[in-house]
Amino acid sequence: MTATAEVSTGSRGNQPPVPDGAITVTVKIRRFNSEFDDEPRWDSFEIPALPSDRVLNLLHYVKWYLDGTLTFRRSCAHGICGSDAMRINGVNRLACKVLLKDLLASGGKPTTITIEPIKGLPVHKDLLVDMEPFFEAFKAVKPYLITYGNEPTRERVQSIADRERFDDTTKCILCAACTTSCPVYWTEGSYFGPAAIVNAHRFIFDSRDEGAEERLDILNDIDGVWRCRTTFNCTDACPRGIQVTKAIQEVKRALLFKRV
Amino acid sequence: MPELERHSFDVLVIGAGGAGLRAAIEAREHGMRTAVLCKSLFGKAHTVMAEGGIAAAMGNVNSNDSWQVHFRDTMRGGKFLNNWRMAELHAREAPDRVWELETYGALFDRTKDGRISQRNFGGHEYPRLAHVGDRTGLELIRSLQQKVVSLQQDDFAETGDYESRLKVFQEFTVTDLVLDDGRVAGAFGYWRESGRFVLFEAPAVVLATGGIGKSFKVTSNSWEYTGDGHALALRAGASLINMEFVQFHPTGMVWPPSVKGILVTESVRGDGGVLRNSDGKRFMFDYIPEVFKDKYADNEAEADRWYADPEHNRRPPELLPRDEVARAINSEVKAGRGSEHGGVFLDVSTRLPAEEITRRLPSMHHQFKELADVDITAQPMEVGPTCHYVMGGVQVDPDTGASSVPGLFAAGEVSGGMHGSNRLGGNSLSDLLVFGRRAGAGASGYVSELSARPVCSSEAVAEAERVAVAPFSGSDEGGENPYTLHMELQQAMNDLVGIIRKAEEMDQAIKRLDELKRRAATLVVEGHRQFNPGWHLALDLRNMLVVSECVAKAALMRTESRGGHTRDDYPQMEADWRRKLLVCRLPGADGPGASVEVVEEPQIPIRSDLLELFEHAELQKYLTADELEG
Repeated sequence: MTATAEVSTGSRGNQPPVPDGAITVTVKIRRFNSEFDDEPRWDSFEIPALPSDRVLNLLHYVKWYLDGTLTFRRSCAHGICGSDAMRINGVNRLACKVLLKDLLASGGKPTTITIEPIKGLPVHKDLLVDMEPFFEAFKAVKPYLITYGNEPTRERVQSIADRERFDDTTKCILCAACTTSCPVYWTEGSYFGPAAIVNAHRFIFDSRDEGAEERLDILNDIDGVWRCRTTFNCTDACPRGIQVTKAIQEVKRALLFKRV
Repeated sequence: MPELERHSFDVLVIGAGGAGLRAAIEAREHGMRTAVLCKSLFGKAHTVMAEGGIAAAMGNVNSNDSWQVHFRDTMRGGKFLNNWRMAELHAREAPDRVWELETYGALFDRTKDGRISQRNFGGHEYPRLAHVGDRTGLELIRSLQQKVVSLQQDDFAETGDYESRLKVFQEFTVTDLVLDDGRVAGAFGYWRESGRFVLFEAPAVVLATGGIGKSFKVTSNSWEYTGDGHALALRAGASLINMEFVQFHPTGMVWPPSVKGILVTESVRGDGGVLRNSDGKRFMFDYIPEVFKDKYADNEAEADRWYADPEHNRRPPELLPRDEVARAINSEVKAGRGSEHGGVFLDVSTRLPAEEITRRLPSMHHQFKELADVDITAQPMEVGPTCHYVMGGVQVDPDTGASSVPGLFAAGEVSGGMHGSNRLGGNSLSDLLVFGRRAGAGASGYVSELSARPVCSSEAVAEAERVAVAPFSGSDEGGENPYTLHMELQQAMNDLVGIIRKAEEMDQAIKRLDELKRRAATLVVEGHRQFNPGWHLALDLRNMLVVSECVAKAALMRTESRGGHTRDDYPQMEADWRRKLLVCRLPGADGPGASVEVVEEPQIPIRSDLLELFEHAELQKYLTADELEG
């Protein structure tokens, strides 16, 4: 069933004036409430928006003026906290980092944007998924500095080059966009998934860390890096531009050549 | 009615940002069974947005730096209104906290000899901010999160239960503290997803809830910043100080409207970025206040030489403390020399080669490209002031973070005093670590000395529940939308108690807040408790309104201008006012018509050996004649 809210009279009171240059777009959102619904449904909303608006602004418009029950996560609103990963027009993106102008239909045709929760994690409500399995995989790779011997009183020395070595994988914001874009993860939920491997990579290649062996053992497991089929979905999905597939390959190589 | 979910802990930490996590780690290390309660997902706290770095006088880049110099800078930045003991502890302990964070695995940019690199920042005499590119806050949170994971794995090895000593309850909101004869006995709240109520029984609570920025329209703060901890403390009987001081960060994005308020890090200026008005003039030279004239260059040539030779030149005025820069931008825009969208221009494109900009400021480059379609290596940014930080908060004992309510502690932005009337950039992340640790230790010490645990009475719990469900049974006839009320509050605070204040506008604001309070008390939310964002906002509004009342009433009383409090009708700083703290309390706690009371109390005099760190001539700018004699 599709419910369409009218532009002029939303159910939640007065809407703000429509700004100059606004375009009306249709936003189709997949709705589901795990406590009451058996099946998800699609709701469509007509929203006046500027090309410079982000998908997050469209969702706020729905929540504030059209349907106060719409549920999604968001926090910092500029791509640092990693709360608002969702499937936008079929690909994983952060809602706060997708501009409407990049989604507009060509030639002035009407624009429809579809928004769904990220795949592979249980949906609680609307765009809000259960992140526990994702964080369980993160915790399983021992994502913390492992050292032996006495703690230094000041910092450990690390050269600029050594620090640069693992810079890319330290940019991760744990948004789950990569893991939930991975076809292997969709079908084999027990796979650690790209994000956990990225966070293991961060420590395996940190010159200060002495736990690489332990982590490589974990990732050599049946649900570890060998499940990766190098489809590059994860790299495409990463909102931080991390070379995720490359990091996974580096871990594979470390397993092949360092230990054997 | 389903049975109430109950948990029992030794120490509850409310908030999982830098201060909360550091407090929780400390309490766990002291053997306390500790719980962390946070509104968003674990690891997504507002701290992630801090970009510049952690201020700590390690002296890695300039060995002249020391805790004494850091202390001096902090006091100057806060216009001497700071709690001197907090400023002292902070300056002394920040280096140890940074080194400790490094042992947790934190990544830092390095010097050529492999030590932690430090960068220049507004108000800091030497390069002092330990940083990771411009994502230091993210790295701080991630390091603390990783430390929590590693402690939980240690606990599993020992007890067979990951959460036997330290447990995180995420996407959970605390609505009220539960008291027993004036002492903390626990906290009451709801799971954000299900709306189900939970009672946490615990003799000690550490508030680490951050700030209040969501009461303002243009803000860099995220949705969590609804002043929850400030309001919980007030309702429990604790006092707040310095609430009139709100920091407007000088450089928020002003265009496009969808990103208005989002922060542009101060490092852009620390790394050479300059501010220009619509005439192309580098206007900050016109706004150097008397007290800073000997530290800041009055001409472009000297200012530009400073980046390469800070020993022999004064600093560029773009690096003045935040309050000064915010006011200067405000004045330029008011005088008609602003940019098209009501800001000024922050330009780094003509100052550094493009590859240097993308290397030093990758997140900023990214942010403008992706959110505003602006290439900062080729064109200037449009920026203007945005509500960023509240200096005011719970009045605490500096050494332990204890409030006046037994069992109630506070650390980080929700506590008051450390930053005086204005916080220096970089002093926030260090504040979180120094005082998070101290509050965690303070709470542990308090619990271990208790002879009997306070009890959550069934009446107190029933009352907390009654208040929490009240929005479902209001008597509002108009069917008012809580989002509308929130927007009216934000507009009123922005327009009437914003960056430049005057008496008649604040009078108006207080009346407006009264009216909003009345409407909020009767508004009705639709639906039921499960996944109900409208209900969440209705409960948050209760907090935002009482905190806004503190800001407006204290701001009206302080008839001078100082730091994050600028009065159009009282433009001068008055030495007499430096000796006074405005203390907010909420008598009658939650009764209908309860109203914030603000009283003047004397500021604690600065210890003499700390005063001796300053030249007499400088003290004359801040202290009264009889203070100087003594």
